[in-house]
Amino acid sequence: MNSAKSFLILSIAAILAWGCAHSGEEDSIAPLAPASGRVDPGLGPGTQALSSGPGYKGSPSWSPEGDRIAFTVDGYVVDKPTGSEDLRHWTTRDFFAEDTEWEPDDALMILGAAPSAGTQEISSSLYRAQPGDDSLELENVENEVTAIGAGEDRLYFALGSGAHESWLAMTRSGGKIDRRYSNPIGGRVAYLSLAPDGEQAVLAVRPPGDRKVSVLRVFDLRKGQGREITRLEGAREILGTPQWTEQGIYFVAGKQSTTLDSDGAEPLYNIYRVPEEGGSPELASGVGEDFVAASIRVSPDGRRLAVVGRLNPKSPTNLYVLDPLAKVLTAVTTNEDMEIKTGPDDLAWSPGGKSVAVIARGTPSTEPEVRADPADRLLRDFYNLYEIPVDSPEAPPR
Amino acid sequence: MRDVVFWLSGAALAFVVTAGAFLLLANLATTPSEKSLNPDRGPVGSGPAIDLQLDRERLASLEPLPDQILDLSVENEDDEPLSDVNVILITSTENTALSDSRYYRQTVEKIPAGGAESVRFEFDLVVPEQPVRRPSAAPPEPSREILEIRANTPEGTSTVRTVILPP
Repeated sequence: MNSAKSFLILSIAAILAWGCAHSGEEDSIAPLAPASGRVDPGLGPGTQALSSGPGYKGSPSWSPEGDRIAFTVDGYVVDKPTGSEDLRHWTTRDFFAEDTEWEPDDALMILGAAPSAGTQEISSSLYRAQPGDDSLELENVENEVTAIGAGEDRLYFALGSGAHESWLAMTRSGGKIDRRYSNPIGGRVAYLSLAPDGEQAVLAVRPPGDRKVSVLRVFDLRKGQGREITRLEGAREILGTPQWTEQGIYFVAGKQSTTLDSDGAEPLYNIYRVPEEGGSPELASGVGEDFVAASIRVSPDGRRLAVVGRLNPKSPTNLYVLDPLAKVLTAVTTNEDMEIKTGPDDLAWSPGGKSVAVIARGTPSTEPEVRADPADRLLRDFYNLYEIPVDSPEAPPR
Repeated sequence: MRDVVFWLSGAALAFVVTAGAFLLLANLATTPSEKSLNPDRGPVGSGPAIDLQLDRERLASLEPLPDQILDLSVENEDDEPLSDVNVILITSTENTALSDSRYYRQTVEKIPAGGAESVRFEFDLVVPEQPVRRPSAAPPEPSREILEIRANTPEGTSTVRTVILPP
């Protein structure tokens, strides 16, 4: 009986000792690879890094299925699947690309300039690139192209060699020009985008004799006729591509300035709205008087605007979504330590309208930074692409 | 009386066994320590642990000129001596359109257990000429220089440090 008691007590003591004791060795968890999976780089939960490593990235463009994203890096064009790191080069590294648009057959239309031997700036051309072409040879579609805008299965582009006249043309696929519009447009088309129905285009134009982009025109793509809908007075200029929403045409404009303002602040730009029938531009409702806009993009359904900007000149740059019908601006990110890139083409809606791609980096240090990862895996130290989820509102009754 | 003692003992034993089982399960899924979440990545691969120590003041003194010197320390964190540790320095620029990466290699013949050896690299940190860029393609500030230092052992362990130098 005594031995049974002793066994029982020892068993209980052993269980307690084993259960209470911590193991001497801590299992080390390797840090997450910076560019894989969901990360929170300061842009909110659910944000996914779409690129990593050094390089000045820009002009993101989602494939029609939303499974790939193309973008420029230091001028050349690459794309990659959204879920892996399998980077694909579309141009040589000495190419200067300004914009890219996907074709339905997985080809890429590229607005840019091939390298030249001289130092003189050369005009841009429209090129077509095929996937899987190891030679990186580009098919020249048209020279002297100044702007491109994509519809469902069509790409419209503006061309012209001088400052006085431009023309529009359209290609469906295969690099063949399917239609050239004969009616000229006065001035040089700087930006171009399509209405939600794809039957009209809005053009931001630099008029003859003017050094700034100050005129908005709409162009009926079926009839081949256009008209001016607004003209900015004074020193204001249009920045980036105007966006045609279901509630009118929105654009970013502000005082023309190539240097810092006299008070040391950056030039300030606002979001304006003009009805498609034309008229004087008015400040966009719901945004706030102090808002400093950088770039805007209309959602695929034409009902929302993604906006990169600041609530006031001293606020950090963040991503917002403006509902033009409800006149409500919603913050998507509330970051304070990431610099979101503010180029006019540096944001893009995913085809389903559920997320927006932006380009951001951490604030660079003035001291040497030491990291424990290879350079091509670093995120915050360089401008990189991030996919930020955006809540979808209830679809209003039509 | 004996029955009461028997049932009380049985209930206590059942409680202790159940509690022990839960404690055991909890220990099997131990939360990692805060140290393991440190962003400083440890050596990759199997084999002895090595580390690289860089002098921040020395890094700050580097200039975009030829004949720069970088001193670093390779530490053997294992309890066995290490031999033939390859240390590679790769210099590049933030502008990836410029294919100007340069590679430098040093071999450390022996590092005692728990000890360290110094390595000196003499290298050129010359900023390549930037091509003429359009405003849309040009970054707003000069490109930064990047130093990537890797230490590899014959056993397959490696560790890496990336240094980003301000312009």
